[in-house]
Amino acid sequence: MAVVTDLGRLRGPRFGLPVNGALDQYSARAANILVGNHEADPLIEVTAFDAEFSPSVDVVVAVTGAEVELRVGGLERPSWEPVTVRAGERLQLQEITAGMRCYVAVHGSFDVPYLLGSCAPDSGVGFSAMLSPSTGVPLRSRGPAPVSDFWGISLFNLQALRPRVEEGAPVDVIDGPDSEEFKGTAQRLFAQPYTVSERSNHVGLRMHGGALPARISTEEKISRGVPIGAVEVPPGDELLVLHRGRGVTAGYPVLGVVTSTSLDTLGQVRPGQEIEFRPVEIAQARQDARAWRAELDALRQRTATAFDSLGLGEQYRHVDHRRSLTRATG
Amino acid sequence: MSSTAAKASPVHAEITAVGESAVRVEGRTGCSERDWLLAHQLAAHLHAGESAIYTGALPTYESVLVEFDAVATDIDSVIADLTAALPTLDLDEPLLADPQHFHVPVLYGAPGRSQEHEPGPDMTRVAELTGLSVEELIARHSEPRYVVRCLGAPGGSPMLDGPQLPVTVPRLPSPRPSVPQGAVSLAGRQATITPATAPGGWCVIGQTPLRVLDLDSDSLVPYRPGDTLEFYPIGPHEFRELEGQSMVSGVRS
Repeated sequence: MAVVTDLGRLRGPRFGLPVNGALDQYSARAANILVGNHEADPLIEVTAFDAEFSPSVDVVVAVTGAEVELRVGGLERPSWEPVTVRAGERLQLQEITAGMRCYVAVHGSFDVPYLLGSCAPDSGVGFSAMLSPSTGVPLRSRGPAPVSDFWGISLFNLQALRPRVEEGAPVDVIDGPDSEEFKGTAQRLFAQPYTVSERSNHVGLRMHGGALPARISTEEKISRGVPIGAVEVPPGDELLVLHRGRGVTAGYPVLGVVTSTSLDTLGQVRPGQEIEFRPVEIAQARQDARAWRAELDALRQRTATAFDSLGLGEQYRHVDHRRSLTRATG
Repeated sequence: MSSTAAKASPVHAEITAVGESAVRVEGRTGCSERDWLLAHQLAAHLHAGESAIYTGALPTYESVLVEFDAVATDIDSVIADLTAALPTLDLDEPLLADPQHFHVPVLYGAPGRSQEHEPGPDMTRVAELTGLSVEELIARHSEPRYVVRCLGAPGGSPMLDGPQLPVTVPRLPSPRPSVPQGAVSLAGRQATITPATAPGGWCVIGQTPLRVLDLDSDSLVPYRPGDTLEFYPIGPHEFRELEGQSMVSGVRS
């Protein structure tokens, strides 16, 4: 499955729409940085299966996210680097391993419909730019692409930090605002690994493992704003961790909140895979988010330098990077 | 955790950490109407600033979830910031200077209709739980002038206070995988209309023929928090006549 998306619809929640957008925000931002786009520009999210694209003009692309075999015109090329794809050449993503989602950014980005400031699909209201084999996605015209045959060679190794989501990956959780309602059983979350269920998607991940934390009250609660990353215990035998497609209001108590960097991890776990929850303090979560931001800023610098050394710096700087500083929370 | 970050401000709100990049501000004025105004006015205050630090404010009935960029700021600064903003709110002002009113036709559920076409599959259940007849339930539901408390899930649902019933109606034991758009439902102390087909755990007692959601409109739905609406019963014939019309304020179709 492939969709055109972005970092999400920040103006959505006040209208009752989830924020949605790329489930692995770090990888999506890195892909756009590597091709000189705004971090919030539209890009393609490929989930789980092989995908193939063919541009009608020469383009510079970068593929990030899950580990994947990337081929351009049949030749293997590096992911997490800018690479040139000539008009009519095939860009193939094959055998996604160690992860769930890949991001394909194209220099100049796409010209797609927006709803409340974002192109991210919203399955709830039926807004989407789902890609099928015959669909073409128009590119925004920003002049010629900064193509160069030097992209992707070791000389320009941009050394982007690639998060790798292994079996048993740690998922950091901050104690939630309603953890009192699970008194005595909240710690069960950390007692054993959980397995991610097939019934997981962008709305939330369902997980099963040992004994679940249990609510001490079944009182009907008035609806409240639900944070992305909320850990809830709905009726049944599964735990629910809400992700970016979550309904914005609900009456369930929030046991814990997954940190923003660990939400990226959850964007890459596969059904059947085990994860381990780990309790963290707010200060640690903030430090992790800042380290993540510093990594992206440094990648932006290195990429600009590489564009400069190929005489393509103008096209890199052509993009107004200020917008890239806004970030969806989670 | 809720106790460590909780703080009572002079205008009686409690601020609680919700992860590293959000806080929940709950009104503690002792009056649910003022708590609601506090939540929405604080959200409007933050949106008016359009700062890059506050990435979202999601006001509901008695609280507001404020989301912020944890890279650009930290939770202590946010709590200080919000605590300073609270006394500037005027809770004696109405939320909207020019509230609109909507009349919403509803084909209510009736026992004996075939399940396939039943617009209110939970009407009988709600009648049994409350001990009211279907007629009484319809009268209770179509009597109040409801204030739209907030916009909720799915997509732009008008979240209302529930009608006066002898008992609180619980959510369904297990949610329906699909509730059609236009469903009129209630649960707990709340009631709503579902603008888009989605899973749902509330009791569905009827269906409006009006189209609520409009993706081409800037606001998606015609009402805002602070607007009012009321329901009125219609029959199957009127339902077919009105089906697909847009919801607009001020007119009774």
